[in-house]
Amino acid sequence: MNRDQLRDGELRGIAVALISVVAAASLAAQQPASFTMPIPPAAHLVAITNATILTVSHGTIPRGTIVIREGKIAAVGADVAVPAGAQVIDATGRYVMPGIIDEHSHSAAEAVNEFSNSVTAEVRMADVIREDMPTIYWQLAGGVTAVNVLHGSANTIGGQNAVLKLRWGLPVDSLLFEGAPPGIKFALGENVKESNFQPGPGRERRYPATRMGVEEVLRDAFTRAVAYRTEWQQYEAARRAVRRGQAEPMPPRRDLQLDALVEVMDGRRLVHAHCYRADEILMLLRVAHDFGFRVASLEHVLEGYKVADEIAAAGTGASTFADFWGYKLEAYDAIPYNAALMTQHGVAVAINSDDDERARRLYQDAAKTMHYGGVSETDALKMITLNPARMLGVENRVGSIDVGKDADLAIFSGHPFAPASRVEMTLVDGRVFFDRTTAPTLEHLMQQLQEQRQHRPAAAATDKGEQ
Amino acid sequence: MRLALPACAGALLTVALAAPAPCGAQEGAWALTNARIETVTKGVIERGTIVVRDGLIQAVGADVAPPADARVLDLNGRTVYPGLIDLISNLGLAAAPAPTAGRGGGGGTPAAEGAPTGLEADRMVADEIKPAVADIRNLRDGGITAVLVAPARGAFRGFSALVPLRDSLTARAIIRSPVAENLGFEGVQGRYPGTLLGVIAYERQAFYDAKRQALLLDRYRANPLGMRRPAYDGALAALIPVVKGELPAFFFAKSENEIRRAVRIGREFGLKLTIVGATEAFRATDALKAAGQPVVVSVDFPKPTEVTGWQYRWTERHAPGDSAAADSAARPAIEGNAAALNSAGIRFALSSGGSLRPSEFLGNVRKAIAAGLPRDVALQALTIRPAEIAGVGEQLGSIEPGKIANFVVTEGDLLGDSAKVRAVFVDGERYEVVAPPAAPAGRGRGAEAGAGPAADVGGTWDVSVSTPQGANQATMTVTQSGTSFTGQLTSEMGSAAVDNGQVTGSSVSWTITLNLGGQSMTITFHGDVEGNRMRGSADIPGMGSAGFTAQKRTP
Repeated sequence: MNRDQLRDGELRGIAVALISVVAAASLAAQQPASFTMPIPPAAHLVAITNATILTVSHGTIPRGTIVIREGKIAAVGADVAVPAGAQVIDATGRYVMPGIIDEHSHSAAEAVNEFSNSVTAEVRMADVIREDMPTIYWQLAGGVTAVNVLHGSANTIGGQNAVLKLRWGLPVDSLLFEGAPPGIKFALGENVKESNFQPGPGRERRYPATRMGVEEVLRDAFTRAVAYRTEWQQYEAARRAVRRGQAEPMPPRRDLQLDALVEVMDGRRLVHAHCYRADEILMLLRVAHDFGFRVASLEHVLEGYKVADEIAAAGTGASTFADFWGYKLEAYDAIPYNAALMTQHGVAVAINSDDDERARRLYQDAAKTMHYGGVSETDALKMITLNPARMLGVENRVGSIDVGKDADLAIFSGHPFAPASRVEMTLVDGRVFFDRTTAPTLEHLMQQLQEQRQHRPAAAATDKGEQ
Repeated sequence: MRLALPACAGALLTVALAAPAPCGAQEGAWALTNARIETVTKGVIERGTIVVRDGLIQAVGADVAPPADARVLDLNGRTVYPGLIDLISNLGLAAAPAPTAGRGGGGGTPAAEGAPTGLEADRMVADEIKPAVADIRNLRDGGITAVLVAPARGAFRGFSALVPLRDSLTARAIIRSPVAENLGFEGVQGRYPGTLLGVIAYERQAFYDAKRQALLLDRYRANPLGMRRPAYDGALAALIPVVKGELPAFFFAKSENEIRRAVRIGREFGLKLTIVGATEAFRATDALKAAGQPVVVSVDFPKPTEVTGWQYRWTERHAPGDSAAADSAARPAIEGNAAALNSAGIRFALSSGGSLRPSEFLGNVRKAIAAGLPRDVALQALTIRPAEIAGVGEQLGSIEPGKIANFVVTEGDLLGDSAKVRAVFVDGERYEVVAPPAAPAGRGRGAEAGAGPAADVGGTWDVSVSTPQGANQATMTVTQSGTSFTGQLTSEMGSAAVDNGQVTGSSVSWTITLNLGGQSMTITFHGDVEGNRMRGSADIPGMGSAGFTAQKRTP
């Protein structure tokens, strides 16, 4: 089930707690009871040798070495020497690419949608992160090293996002991508106007109910934010004008909701906007223009190919699915060439998951863009690395294999776009957070179970019988 | 402002009195002689006397002589402890309306007009507690002499009150109110804040607003010229002493992440923070240590499957689906929670968590001791620590002259396996504990298989459940088969099947499942049968327990 659908399901007014209880129970049932998860030591000096290196930023190095010092890439190239004392990872026959960045995720969050109001700019995903969700580990197993945990799409202006590095096993605060600029989720269309479900008994339909109303909610919120910003500017000016002995002016009420919107207008908070239709995309770009901010990324944006020039002109990114559509009316006019067409028109495109399961095979979804529309290998790789890094404002830290960047890397058994390839090892800050040779994979657990059965006394085994 | 009320002058259950009135402690004098006295703060007196006058301890010692006017109670070597104090309780509070759908589900009906929403920072618990006597006795018979009452749900729950467990409990007897502002992470059904996301944002905004209101009021007080009179806002006024760090904030947080979130909010606003619940405190000792405030630790242990983080980070490796192995690996840490806090040098009180029955409470304290908590630390955590945390360390929590005469009298060590509570003193008033006919400790839940023949419970029972609104009457028909039974429970509310009926000796338990607005809720009954009479408690999820009595109709 797609995450977007799941959110819609919640919006249908089904008792979410019950769903999540059932989901948690089934999750628990699927889980192996437990496994030892050694926390990888900090990596001071690591060398990955003999690898085919997909740098994304400057081509492919057929047989090269990456040196990692204190979590950062210190050297990359064909002729790089392995420093003395380095921990060597021999990647002969393997491919190394930058860690995959999932630009649209709802992983590891204890709550996703604050449904009550259509403007909830004050709520923060960082407040509700859970570090113990196994999906974090499973995504590492799919080469994902960073995710953009977004508020759901129930509200025109949803909550503040949290960009995470998947440092599985470390305390919750260690998951936050330090230095990532703050962002916020917007949403347009059917989810926001609650068109695909009836409100629950005793609950009135929430405003807005049409796309006209969605635009009005946006403009109203930013109009309030402009007034709020003016109020603070006047206060700051009055405070500077205070002479010795005079009373300080009273500061305005601090409003956490409007604070976030002022940050958006000042370019200090990145907007990630859920949208589908061409008309609402243009509407949002107009509103953003009128209030003087840039939308960092359009999410889903299934009709983006119709207005690719306008998106490119606005300097806005497009974060979409490879080939997933038709799950509601506003998702009917989608085509698999969307990513390719937008790329051709100069839009930076990301392929995202919106779903914990899809997140584990984003490299296959990126590969699809080569099939549909003939995107180049490098551009396809960018869709899950450098482009999402730009949308999240962390392109100086991650997204390509360059000296000085964080050593967030995925090591594949073959080319990531080859159907049979799989992730062998995933590093975040040079630390090995996933290693297939020691991972509690199904094979390993089955093997362990068999060993235990062999060691069990025969009598006990027959007593229990097959149950 | 209704803050910082003196002891005994809480607002009113019965009739408002203009003049200060005494809190109604037992008048006259007692001398408890030949007692083994665990003072908690001043060591153990192997054989001594305690003199109580007008509800207070007058003298304690080995060589204290009973005054001439005192009634003498020869304890024959029984042990006297300070009365236990439980800092998590919702005794005598009206049950919150049942949630009709999951959090943020968008469905359900809005809460009834005037019903608690959990957004009532100015809610004054002292004004509304109406405990049933059966509930008071139930707790007191387990040695508990005072409970801190606060609503069990909500983001801002209001001001708690420390209540002595006397039969004749009126608001005038309240020991301290407000003790703290109570916070939690529950949202409001169908409204903002509806989810954890909204609740934290709402709390943050409320604290900013309270800080600003405090500033406004201070400036207005200093120089009103040129200012408009600040608008009165009761909920904000309630939070001002909290953001100023004058009144403690009791934050209900159980799991590791809840604890860390609460500590973060406390740090952000400089709150005088006490984490309450803290069943996963052992995984957050770093945060709690850094917060530097005491913790109220519930011994209502979570199931191993409910503990967050566990399965993936902590336990040894087991075969898939081997829940028994996972359970046995997790349990020592869960039960060792208090021991871990003690090792980390964090001060804490132990609590029932609000829904354990007293026998289970002490039973679980014993498990905590078995898991490494020193016995004396456990005793302190049931007496002097909760008194200090509730701000009444000068009045309660130990056996010293000048303190309130709340005691537990036992045969055997209170924290040992075979303790029997024989009497309890509250405000100098003596309550004998009548030992139940069967095994007194660990009753119910099949704890003792060999507790004599199963009681005969077949027939028709008239059941009376004590709620704060009064007694609820129901009729229960029971068909017994050996140690199990089935039946039907019928009240004005409707009819429900009796499930999981079990009889062990004289202990009996069963469940009924109610369907409330599409959500099912299972209520668990535990009782003791004596001939044609039964009494016990009904555990209602999320709302604590209510006492009940039942009488079997004679054929």
